[in-house]
Amino acid sequence: MKKPVKLKFGSKGTKVKNANSYAQKEEPPGEEKCSLGLSSSLEENLGHLREIFAKSTDIIFRDFTIGRWGRLRAAVVYVDGLINITDVNENLLKAVMLEMPMAGNDQDLTKLDVLQKIKDSAFPLSQVKEATLIEQVVDAILSGDTAFLLDGYSTALLVGARGWETRSLDEPATESVVRGPREGFVETLRINTSLIRRKIKSSDLKIEMMKLGRATQTDIGIAYMENLATQELVSEVKKRLQQIDTDSILESGYLEEFIEDNPYSLFSQVNRTERPDKVAAGLLEGRIAILVDGTPFALIVPALFIEFLQASEDYYERYMISSFVRLLRYAAFMVSLLLPSLYIAITTFHQEMLPTDLLLSIAAQREGVPFPAFVEALLMEISFEALREAGIRLPRPIGQAVSIVGALVIGEASVSAGIVSPAMVIIVAVTGISSFIVPNYAMAISMRLLRFALMILAASLGLFGIMAGLIAIVIHLATLRSFGMPYLSPIVPTHPAAWKDTVIRTPWWTMLTRPPLIKKGNLHRQRPYTRRWPGQEQGGEANGRKNKN
Amino acid sequence: MLEQGKISGRQAYLLIINVILATAILFVPAIVTSAAKENGWLAAILATAVGVVISILIANLGLRFPDRNLFDYLGDIVGTIPGKVIAFLYIWWFLHMNALVIREYGSFLVVAFLPETPISVFNFSILILAGWTVKQGLEVICRTNEIFLPLILVGLIVLFLLAVPEMDFRWLLPIMEHGVKPIVHGAVIPISWYGEIATMLMIIPFLKQPQNFRKIQNLAVITIGIFFTMVVLGTVAIFGPELTPRFIFPTLNAARIVNIANLLERLEPIVMAIWITGAFIKITFFYYVAALGTAQFLNLSSYRPVVYPLGIILGAMSILIHPSILELEHFLGKVWPVYAISTFEVGLPLLLLLIAIIRGKRGKT
Repeated sequence: MKKPVKLKFGSKGTKVKNANSYAQKEEPPGEEKCSLGLSSSLEENLGHLREIFAKSTDIIFRDFTIGRWGRLRAAVVYVDGLINITDVNENLLKAVMLEMPMAGNDQDLTKLDVLQKIKDSAFPLSQVKEATLIEQVVDAILSGDTAFLLDGYSTALLVGARGWETRSLDEPATESVVRGPREGFVETLRINTSLIRRKIKSSDLKIEMMKLGRATQTDIGIAYMENLATQELVSEVKKRLQQIDTDSILESGYLEEFIEDNPYSLFSQVNRTERPDKVAAGLLEGRIAILVDGTPFALIVPALFIEFLQASEDYYERYMISSFVRLLRYAAFMVSLLLPSLYIAITTFHQEMLPTDLLLSIAAQREGVPFPAFVEALLMEISFEALREAGIRLPRPIGQAVSIVGALVIGEASVSAGIVSPAMVIIVAVTGISSFIVPNYAMAISMRLLRFALMILAASLGLFGIMAGLIAIVIHLATLRSFGMPYLSPIVPTHPAAWKDTVIRTPWWTMLTRPPLIKKGNLHRQRPYTRRWPGQEQGGEANGRKNKN
Repeated sequence: MLEQGKISGRQAYLLIINVILATAILFVPAIVTSAAKENGWLAAILATAVGVVISILIANLGLRFPDRNLFDYLGDIVGTIPGKVIAFLYIWWFLHMNALVIREYGSFLVVAFLPETPISVFNFSILILAGWTVKQGLEVICRTNEIFLPLILVGLIVLFLLAVPEMDFRWLLPIMEHGVKPIVHGAVIPISWYGEIATMLMIIPFLKQPQNFRKIQNLAVITIGIFFTMVVLGTVAIFGPELTPRFIFPTLNAARIVNIANLLERLEPIVMAIWITGAFIKITFFYYVAALGTAQFLNLSSYRPVVYPLGIILGAMSILIHPSILELEHFLGKVWPVYAISTFEVGLPLLLLLIAIIRGKRGKT
């Protein structure tokens, strides 16, 4: 559809730089954009647009005349379904078609700069932009703006009267809390930025926008606190995003893979969340959030290993409880990683390590089981993974049936049939529950994969194999960086100042500073001695500014 | 410089501890008690005192050139050709020492845990892992160590505390029944372990603050001394001065007899975990200095290409160097201390320091 236009009006030479610098790069052949200016003839302009939007039935062209005698011809172009139709009818069409003529006579219309007058005094709408290039007009129409074209002017007005169907704010499905805000991001970027703005009412909160994806033209928001995020980090994030040259960004996961430091790692080096409070907390620590239109998942960089084992609720619940839960999580993390492989190693190579009674009991259970412990564990783990995956993908009503089948067939029947030992079922169940305790889904998946690797090592080299595997994992983690930050910090390289919020969480009134890892500006998040108020030494709630860590 | 990374003082401190402690912790009780009997702990203390002296020597040499490492300034001190010769000998020493450690490592795993597995499986699997780590650079080695070493030290202390009920401190008496001579004798081999600190000459310039190195090193040697003494005291108090030297790995045997309420028993996996991780980092570090040294010797722009070739040499050496663990023990007990202390650990550094002082060579401070 674009081709005729290109042949007619331009070649590479007329190409104008896109507003986004990613377009500076040579675009693949066949996807040339023609960027020519609007002409002053309405017919011609509409002709181009009709050509560009040929066979697109959702584009609405409405041409009409302005003025008492219909001397001035005008048109609006928009995408049906992306605009607020009431706004366009009431505030745009009605304004120029009915109210304009009453304001003056036709003589004025021919003398004055009508377009400027319309922009200045006719549209009771807050977002009106001017555009002089066809490409700008096309982009704006496709993004949901309404283009207003006037005969005799080579400038179009882009009226922001967007409105499309969105999901209402919901509780985040992947990060539910007992205590804490229940709102989650939605698929519309603007609503998401407003959710963050509602949390941080500071002019230091900056949200820069860019468009990525040649076909999808996805809006990307880069949010950061100007006084907290270092300039290097901000420009590094922008640099990496601008390097992306792809045709589609449909989910923030695309970006994650493009901007990660080590794309070959099993571990996610970018944190993702559906929770505005988590994003706000990250921003207030000097991190950068990347919001992507069309997905409720925002990215937070840099991300550290320990953050994947923290939940936002840790900061809302009483600190002792949170600390206990965190310790539990670390324990569960190790269990979900190691339990099946330890079982294999001990029952295959190091039986002497078990107390005699337990050893005899396991040996009695395993009597009649035809497989070695490794095969038995592998079978069970794979069926468990399959069940879990089935549970996610299946329509919800069937989910229950699957869990019943899973529990009965795999749990009960396979034991009574003598295919697996009861001990193995316990191991798999405990591993499964532990892996659900890991709050971040990305980390939980990494654990599941590594668990299989460790099982193979355990089956071939026993405890030595497990240790070697663990060493390899730790070394790999030690090499990782997330936007320049060592992935394992603050554990290593050691930053004891940041340890108040790692394995345990200390009370809010002791966390006087922000984590000193991302250094910039005022590190203090509250004044010292928050809890010292007149006439009292202790007691009551901590007052003062509170920021989530 | 071939290494871009910088390590902090804390990382250097932990690295020194691990490099010396990791292998020594298993062998030291048997070795010191075989000569010094019930006064083994005194031998450990004496060795530590000598270790501090060696540490001062190494720091004095290294800090004359705080921005360069041994292979960089060797040529300045003794001239280009002799410098190359000494550098070559040092590379040999790094490799030889590492081959011995790898062999001890493999032997331990075979003897204590997986008797039917051939030793080459352990030697080569650990070398593949170590080679990969060496390629990641000094920073990663230090970070890995920073994670594991605190766990190792805590594990050792817990083991010691759990074994207290089995201890009878009357085994430690009488003190110095046969005078000083057996104690000196018992201290010689631990001194050769302390001498391994000479490898630090290769990494002093990579410290963030090299001027603190002297303090860090002395502190590390004293920390190691405390753990040495603790392990010797513990094992002798458990097994007595006659039985301890007869074990190859008394620390492992000590862990085996721990039994708390029939629940916590057979804690040797702790010892094995300690040994595997500790020795792994030690092997990796020696491997690293060998690779770095080789690259400097050959004037390469990166040490990474020589990592795996050196690994093959190390793997072959570790297996071929001694036909059995008994001969390895004999070599470590009788030959190694004299050979290592007199040349690479004390002899050469002392000589280099003297020449540097006489010729007035000194780097930027």
